[in-house]
Amino acid sequence: MRQAHGVSDELKLINAAKGGSVEAFTELVHGYRERLFRYLLTRCASHADAEDALQDTFINAYRYIATYNPQWRFSTWLYRIAIRNAGRLRSENVAELGELSDVSNDPLAHCIAESERHNLWRNAKRLLSEEVFAAMWLRYVEDMSIKDIAAVLERSSSWTKVNLLRGRRALEAEMNNGAQDPGSEAYG
Amino acid sequence: MDKFTRQLREDAANIDAGISAELDSRINASLQNVTPESARQRTPATRSPLFWWASSLTGIAAAFGMLAIINLVNLGRPGPSPQVQVQEPVAHIVVPELDLEVEAAMLTSPLAEELAKLQADLRRAEEAVRDDVRIDF
Repeated sequence: MRQAHGVSDELKLINAAKGGSVEAFTELVHGYRERLFRYLLTRCASHADAEDALQDTFINAYRYIATYNPQWRFSTWLYRIAIRNAGRLRSENVAELGELSDVSNDPLAHCIAESERHNLWRNAKRLLSEEVFAAMWLRYVEDMSIKDIAAVLERSSSWTKVNLLRGRRALEAEMNNGAQDPGSEAYG
Repeated sequence: MDKFTRQLREDAANIDAGISAELDSRINASLQNVTPESARQRTPATRSPLFWWASSLTGIAAAFGMLAIINLVNLGRPGPSPQVQVQEPVAHIVVPELDLEVEAAMLTSPLAEELAKLQADLRRAEEAVRDDVRIDF
């Protein structure tokens, strides 16, 4: 019931934002800020890039709010924009600076406490491709359906299912290796 | 929720994604300068069903009318006789001389090697299976 109220409130805010209300849009995206920023921190080359990507995501979302189709969840639409922005920033950085393999600048390394360095998402970033990582994040963190993930990534449902399974296998293997060998580099 | 899912959720929650006041104000300021683009006017299907019935019937009537006119115009007029074009035989066909002095073995040897390797793989696989069976039973 609460969720139904939440959805109807969200629709009201979306309609108000479509009418040009910045306040409504700000209220609408308020709950998504940290969730999106967390994802962007995992995908961008630096903390500053993640901040820029978040800002661009909200600007683009507000600018094109009229094109939002309510048949999809609002978070699906926002993630789609965020993933595009992260990819665009990444490709611009690669074009300007070359290969982005500077581990010391990795925002994830700065955003995870020292005691939590055995973070599976760091391994996921190392092991999985960008799209498979995104699919895993949307599935396991955002609890999105296969259909929604496929829509965000503009892929087929079959591709999404297969790659979620592959990603899970890869991470489970890594998790088990780490559990067996605590001194290994797998979690560092 | 299984262990893997729980671990991934916990690890995601451990990523510090606090929005600084500066970033917050930056986003709010940039949003103030953005004007949403209005949705493109899509032509909604607001016409009544009567319109579609009327246009369909008009189309069908027009098609029948055209068929009737064509048939009346061509009535009694013999159709054109089919013309058979006879091609003249080509006078000179130059057949290039092919160098056929190539050893057949040169052409087939890569395939033969590949076949031998595949057969060897098969033999090794068979031996492995035999060994497994011997150990298991």
